[in-house]
Amino acid sequence: MKLLNKITLWFIGIVFLVTPVTMVISRNNIKRHLDDAEVARMTAVNDRVAQQMMAGEKPDRYTHGRPIAITTVADPLPEKKVIVTKDNFVAEDLGKKECRITVDSWYKIGDQQYKISSYNYVIKSEEIFRGMLSTVVWKMLLMIFAVSVTARLLSGKIFSPLRRTMKAIHSFDLKQKNKLQLAETSTTEFKELNVFLTKMTDKAMEDYAAVKEFSENASHELQTPLAVIRSKIELLSETNIDSVQAALLGDMQNAIEKLSHINRSLILLTKLENQEFKVTESLKFCRVVKDVIATYEDWITMREIAITTNLDKNIPLNIHPALAEMLISNLLSNAIRHNRDGGQIKMVLTHRELSISNTGIPPQIPTCELFQRFKKSNQSNDSIGLGLAIVKQICEVNGYDVDYNYADGWHKIQVCFYKKQTVNSDALPVAAAVAV
Amino acid sequence: MKVLIVEDNKELASGISDYLNGEKYISELAYDVETAREKLSLFTYDCILLDIMLPDGNGMELLNFIRQENISSGVLIISAKDALDDKVNGLERGADDYVTKPFHLPELHARLRAIYRRKKLDGNNLVVFNEIELNTDTMEALINNSLLDVTRKEFDLLLYFVVNKNRVLSRQAIAAHLWGDYTDNLANFDFVYQHVKNLRKKISAAEGVDYIETVYGLGYKFNTSKT
Repeated sequence: MKLLNKITLWFIGIVFLVTPVTMVISRNNIKRHLDDAEVARMTAVNDRVAQQMMAGEKPDRYTHGRPIAITTVADPLPEKKVIVTKDNFVAEDLGKKECRITVDSWYKIGDQQYKISSYNYVIKSEEIFRGMLSTVVWKMLLMIFAVSVTARLLSGKIFSPLRRTMKAIHSFDLKQKNKLQLAETSTTEFKELNVFLTKMTDKAMEDYAAVKEFSENASHELQTPLAVIRSKIELLSETNIDSVQAALLGDMQNAIEKLSHINRSLILLTKLENQEFKVTESLKFCRVVKDVIATYEDWITMREIAITTNLDKNIPLNIHPALAEMLISNLLSNAIRHNRDGGQIKMVLTHRELSISNTGIPPQIPTCELFQRFKKSNQSNDSIGLGLAIVKQICEVNGYDVDYNYADGWHKIQVCFYKKQTVNSDALPVAAAVAV
Repeated sequence: MKVLIVEDNKELASGISDYLNGEKYISELAYDVETAREKLSLFTYDCILLDIMLPDGNGMELLNFIRQENISSGVLIISAKDALDDKVNGLERGADDYVTKPFHLPELHARLRAIYRRKKLDGNNLVVFNEIELNTDTMEALINNSLLDVTRKEFDLLLYFVVNKNRVLSRQAIAAHLWGDYTDNLANFDFVYQHVKNLRKKISAAEGVDYIETVYGLGYKFNTSKT
């Protein structure tokens, strides 16, 4: 739910809760003031009548046509000279509830004591309440309308810094060296948010640069010592050595070979993660596939593997040439290495996908795990277990899907050039996030 | 051939120098850009081995210097970075070839020879040893003046042997030379054995001397002392 709608709803809810309370308070207030005014008026009338009586005039002017009763009393006067009584009763002739206020005043005029009583019917609290109810309903409707409309009109202005900030975060890329630029704002919360975000992204960029630099440098620094060892072994093997020493040197050569291969693969993976392979133009994928197959022909012939290919022509793909070559080369060499002598390889290339199937022993671990680094189905194998990790990474960088299945003695790896149904999934949350 | 080795790692530089001295080349060492610049101003070299990352600068600067001064030496870049950009940049700035660390010494030598042939021997494309004659342009191999029916790979292999004669060539070095970047994916080197076997068969069939011998546990050697 949008922040704005949330706030509006809460606001309206609170208004709904508070309104009945305020209604009761205002009803009571109005009623009391009306009653007080009535009481004051009647007291004044009583006093006036008493004054006239004191002056010896007949109080006709006031008593005439008014509900005033003048009686003489014998009892001593009560302490309070004015007593107000309120009666709520049902008038029998009308069958309606009535509210009556009676004001009794006692006076001593001459030797005689008088009690002057005035009464009047006043407006009932239910009537006030009924009158207020329609007002309140109108008030509420107006309020909801006004709040919703102004909120909508104002939100564009109030939330614009937040929206700009979100846009900036969205377009922020750790790999590019541009710092996060946020627009100025006068709202305290957004100011804090911007300061926090700027700090966070700056730190992330520093850390990223440090990690990247470290892994790059570490791998590159290893290359020179490796070159030294390799060249020294080569020089050593030129000298007068016996067969035992030669065998030792041979083993060392193998180890160096493997080490340099691992190092190169790790550099490649780092580069892929850093997205250092910029695609400039599309290339003909089918041609690359043919070239790679030609390179491996020797090995295929030597292992007496029968390869059948079904390659569609004219398949342009937006992929870096080096990556395309590496992808196919890794897949094909895997298909050869994990094949049995005299086995088969099937290669199919269409506009949608590339699939390579080969015969071989069943995998020892779930096939999806084979995409992890240094995971091998057969631990004693010569391979280092980075080939499929590289394949996976290349596919990820280019937005391809890759699958590994084993069925009926066939290992099948499929690379789909177009992801299924997931093309728009990236764009959606962004749009939702930017719309506040 | 006179070679200048510009490399800041002293062990590696001396290793290269030892190998090249074994070929009767004259090699000189420069550990930094300044020394290299000085030597280049004073002497002439047939080839320059150039490391990209040097303590007092970048090898690319030296490339610019070489071009400005119209030095006609061939340049082979040796770098720890096998970044494609570096490769392209280096070649565009006038380098002749590029190898990445860790390289095999015979590979370095073969490439150096190739540059030397192209640049200094005025494109002389014939490599001759006794009865063997290799034409690097047409990829034709002659033994006793009769054409040897070899594949492209076998020709490359024979050329590699002849250039690095009397050297022990490991299976790894041969694989790296013939298959380049793909060697990483070739887990074992049985196919090297296969190619060497085929080549020896073909040479013997053409009544050439079987110079290639197996070095137990290591690889092969083109032994010129055989007759």
